[in-house]
Amino acid sequence: MKLARNKYDIDETLQSEFNFSHLKRLGSYIKPYRKDIFITILLLTISSGLGMLAPRILMVIMDDYIPNGNIKAIAVVSILLLLIYFIVSVIMKMKITLTARMGQNIIHQIRSDIFGHLQKLPFSYYDDKPHGKIQVRVVNYVNSLSDLLSNGIVNTVTELFSLVFIVAFMLSINVRLTLVCLTGLPLLMAVIFTIKKKQRVAWQRMSNKQSNLNAYIAESINGIRVTQSFTREQENIEIFNTLSNDYRSAWMRAVKLNFLLWPAINNISTWTMAAVLFLGITWLDGGLEGITIGVLVAMTGYIGRFWQPITTMANFYNSLLNAVSYLERIFETIDEPVLVKDAPDAIEMPPIVGEVKFKDVTFSYEDDVPVLNGISFTAKVGDTIAIVGPTGAGKTTIINLISRFYNLDSGELTIDGIDINKVKIASLRKQMGVMLQDSFIFSGTIMDNIRYGNMEATDEQVIEAAKTVRAHDFIVNLENGYETEVNERGTRLSVGQRQLISFARALLADPKILILDEATSSIDTETEILLQEGLSRLLKGRTSFIIAHRLSTIKNSTCIMYVDKGLIQEMGNHEELLAKKGYYYELYMSQYKFLEKS
Amino acid sequence: MTAMQWFYSFLKKYRNRIIIGLVVATITCTLAIVNPYIAGIIVDDVIRGGNREILPKLVVIMLVATLIRTVARYWFTISFEKVSQGVLFSMRDYVYRKFLGQDFSFYNKNRTGDLMSRQTGDMEAIRHFVAWVIYNVYESALLFSIALTMIFVADFRLALGMVVILPITAWVTMKQLKSVKPAFHNIRQHFSSLNTLVQENVSGNRVVKAFAKEDYEIEKFDVENDGYRQAELDAAKIWRKYVPIFEFLSNVLTVVLYLVGGFMVINNHMSMGKLVTVSGYLWMLNNPLRMAGWLANDYQRFVTSVEKIYSTINIEPSIKDPDNAIAKKRFNGDIVFSHVSYRVEEEEILKDINFHVKPGQTVGIIGATGSGKSTLMNLLCRFYDVTEGEIKVDGVNVKKLDLFSLRDNIGMAMQDVFLFSDTIEGNIAYGRPDCSFEQVMEAAKVANAHDFILQMPDGYDTIIGERGVGLSGGQKQRISLARALLKNPSIIILDDTTSAVDMETETLIQNELNSINANHTVFIIAHRISSIKEADQILVVDEGRIVESGNHEELLAKKGYYHTVFHHQYGDFDQIKTGLKEFNYIRNSKTEETSYSGGHTSIRDWGNEIG
Repeated sequence: MKLARNKYDIDETLQSEFNFSHLKRLGSYIKPYRKDIFITILLLTISSGLGMLAPRILMVIMDDYIPNGNIKAIAVVSILLLLIYFIVSVIMKMKITLTARMGQNIIHQIRSDIFGHLQKLPFSYYDDKPHGKIQVRVVNYVNSLSDLLSNGIVNTVTELFSLVFIVAFMLSINVRLTLVCLTGLPLLMAVIFTIKKKQRVAWQRMSNKQSNLNAYIAESINGIRVTQSFTREQENIEIFNTLSNDYRSAWMRAVKLNFLLWPAINNISTWTMAAVLFLGITWLDGGLEGITIGVLVAMTGYIGRFWQPITTMANFYNSLLNAVSYLERIFETIDEPVLVKDAPDAIEMPPIVGEVKFKDVTFSYEDDVPVLNGISFTAKVGDTIAIVGPTGAGKTTIINLISRFYNLDSGELTIDGIDINKVKIASLRKQMGVMLQDSFIFSGTIMDNIRYGNMEATDEQVIEAAKTVRAHDFIVNLENGYETEVNERGTRLSVGQRQLISFARALLADPKILILDEATSSIDTETEILLQEGLSRLLKGRTSFIIAHRLSTIKNSTCIMYVDKGLIQEMGNHEELLAKKGYYYELYMSQYKFLEKS
Repeated sequence: MTAMQWFYSFLKKYRNRIIIGLVVATITCTLAIVNPYIAGIIVDDVIRGGNREILPKLVVIMLVATLIRTVARYWFTISFEKVSQGVLFSMRDYVYRKFLGQDFSFYNKNRTGDLMSRQTGDMEAIRHFVAWVIYNVYESALLFSIALTMIFVADFRLALGMVVILPITAWVTMKQLKSVKPAFHNIRQHFSSLNTLVQENVSGNRVVKAFAKEDYEIEKFDVENDGYRQAELDAAKIWRKYVPIFEFLSNVLTVVLYLVGGFMVINNHMSMGKLVTVSGYLWMLNNPLRMAGWLANDYQRFVTSVEKIYSTINIEPSIKDPDNAIAKKRFNGDIVFSHVSYRVEEEEILKDINFHVKPGQTVGIIGATGSGKSTLMNLLCRFYDVTEGEIKVDGVNVKKLDLFSLRDNIGMAMQDVFLFSDTIEGNIAYGRPDCSFEQVMEAAKVANAHDFILQMPDGYDTIIGERGVGLSGGQKQRISLARALLKNPSIIILDDTTSAVDMETETLIQNELNSINANHTVFIIAHRISSIKEADQILVVDEGRIVESGNHEELLAKKGYYHTVFHHQYGDFDQIKTGLKEFNYIRNSKTEETSYSGGHTSIRDWGNEIG
């Protein structure tokens, strides 16, 4: 039995700490767009170059044209200015187009990767944690990266360039004063490093609390029927509010730290300004070489500009810290090892004939808890194998292994003599019809739900399958027949009806091997008998495995296995097993025992 | 109430806080003007003018102003964050309560992923608005007005020349607001679909794998993923049309200033000094104008989300507490269905159902899949309302009863077992979270779940996965049964609760149940005769009608549906009677080896017959 480890109020632990490789990896997503980034930065550089041109023109207007009353020149220059501003606007438009495309493409790619990888992950991954926690990674977390990966990067790189330019300018004016100005940087670094670790923890905490809240919302919606029938509303509201409040506090804590950066930069920049002024004036009065009034004036002008890009970069850094708490979860999911996967030299499973052979198969979900302790049997082509035994005996596990939902610990499982580890999983599963205990219905029409078993099937084939499993009658009675929209999990259908639909779905796949795990438990006996008649015609010559508690369902099986404690305790057909007077005999008799009372 | 009024009802509480925040924002805005001003004085007077002694004073003012400004700004931005979190907290709570109060029909119509989007993505847009957009709009407007006022003071003609741009700005803003709205609506729509797809894919992961449909799922996902991207890009297309216009307009202001101002100075209508002063205010005009496009965007994104949330929750559930609802601590369990019919749209689910159950009685319900058995019980719990007729509990129409007290008196183990990702103990105690561990264990024992629970790695503290993955069908059913029993309700409904449990266990459970049944009215829906045979009344439901009723013997005598089912399940009863005696005999005297041989032949005999 595989058991979950996480629930809504347990923070997930992080398997891998964030490190530089994550950023490098993020870089690999950005890499395909380096051309776009380059173009955008080039455009922005042109734009800011033009923007710098404007003050020059204005200076000429003020210093030359106005004092000289040169109206014509003012008019001409105004038109030139308008032209410049027009170009600046056009560049802005291009920038928006480029960054939006880039940002959306990158998150599109990340989302594709995480979703694609999720498809490869085994049952156990999904069994481990609330589904809301998985979902939030694919949708919300990825979304929150979009701005960072588009505007954030472009702006930061652009600002980095302008910072280099500004520093170069400053150095060219006066090295000494520039150095004075730069003393602010280590100060800022000190602030950043002091709060960095706390910020990281705070954002991690925030994403954990957010994930918990989301998990609880998802579960509350899915379990609403139980909640209402158990009148648990008040209790749930309290839990919800606790989680919601945890999220709020975590958010506030993170934000309080994040917002510290802005006042820090502003104050530091004012201090450096003061320092430059004091020292500059002292040096000026002291007659130090290279310090002139002009130099000082220019310097004070540049200090303001110097801190502008730093503020932008600090903001980027802040969002990055936030994003990292999402990013590490995303990468963690993408890195989740795929335990059940195709061998490198896997072959396509040839069309299955139907001989299934277990040889000393052992299996455990968790290392020290064996579930199957050496199962050996052979199902011949066309056999119907029924598996009975107490709950938790390993029945479902046996049939899950046939589809290779899990890997064996030891032993061998062959179909038509081919080891299933040596074939491509998809080619194997495509030839099997599996009906699980929990019959999941997707939101959509009934037609689509049945067709899920075989996308190429025509409407007629779908209806044929529905008829075989006796679902046709109730389906046509629904308001839109096969086109009736059902909700996810099919809440408007009864469990029996859902079972019939998933049965039809399994049949439509034209399986060479059919596996039914308590597939008909909620179907009435009458329907079941009719269903079996149809089925036996259809499945002639195909191997099938059945787990059922209603023994009338399995009585006619070719072979019945009684499984307990991970071992086949008895095997034989109905008559043989009864004759044995062992476990099966007891089981079979127990269903009549109650009649004896009357 | 409109969606916006609804939103405002949450914000109202924080009105004072917001006002204080905005007052502080006014101060910081004003202080923001101080530094450039002082810098100007320093350059002109101190550096150029050589007036050294005022430098320390100016610098101190600058430092203090910065300190005050940054601290104040930090304070009010945090304050807005707090307000936003407060609003969001109450909104989430409100929406969550609304969700809990909705009836089953609501959940049949709305997909989980859509509902989740309301509580996550849409809330995020609202948070951003309250935490950031509100004060940014205010700051922008404030700066703009301050600058404009100052320009007016300096020279009203020049100011008038610049004001010309305002109507144009307003017009562009309106146009943008209008055209960007459908785009955001579209984004929200795609976000919901994407969310729903992922949600279903995760929940249905077993089916996906069983059918090896991973590639198909990825294809489906690609469509949604592309759709979402396209929606975002479409929206970007709209704002890339407007945002540069604002940029341009803000820059046009500069040109207007120098063109008009230049003319005026040349014509001696204005002094050069004033032109310099006014150009110093330019940044205060430019920046807000530049922001306008983005702020309009954020505003519209917010409006869309509020509307989305509101339209989802602003649906009165058709099933709610009546006025003057009758509440009762404990019902006796006297239940009457009289002429009950139930229809969903055109589809007739139940038709003219009549029966009466006395307190303490057990009712068995049997019938074909989809015949309406579960609906019958859903009507009793008032998960749906009857279309015609009435259902009375202790002589009172369920529509007049307090919903909570009705449902609290019913313990239901549903056909579709839903367990929560919680510990086993937490799951069993779901209906009575404050009960003792002994009570949980007691209920588990009655449901015959105690033994297998103890075998789990952490016993009752074992966390089970969402929907109970990791447990077998029978185990889930037994936990669900224990959960229902723990409530000690006056009415117990067991909807197909033992279908995945083996016969032997079922018998054990039934014996336990019988011992506690005395003061409970029990409904058992089942397909196995064994589950309902002992019932005081058995109802046979077919196509929404009760076609047969009576106790086991009476129904057998009728030779109708029930008889047929019985025959299918136990047709060989007579033949195995001998075998059964043998079986009991063996059971009773396991040590007596000799009894085997005799039984052996008889079993084989009937075995051959039915084979």
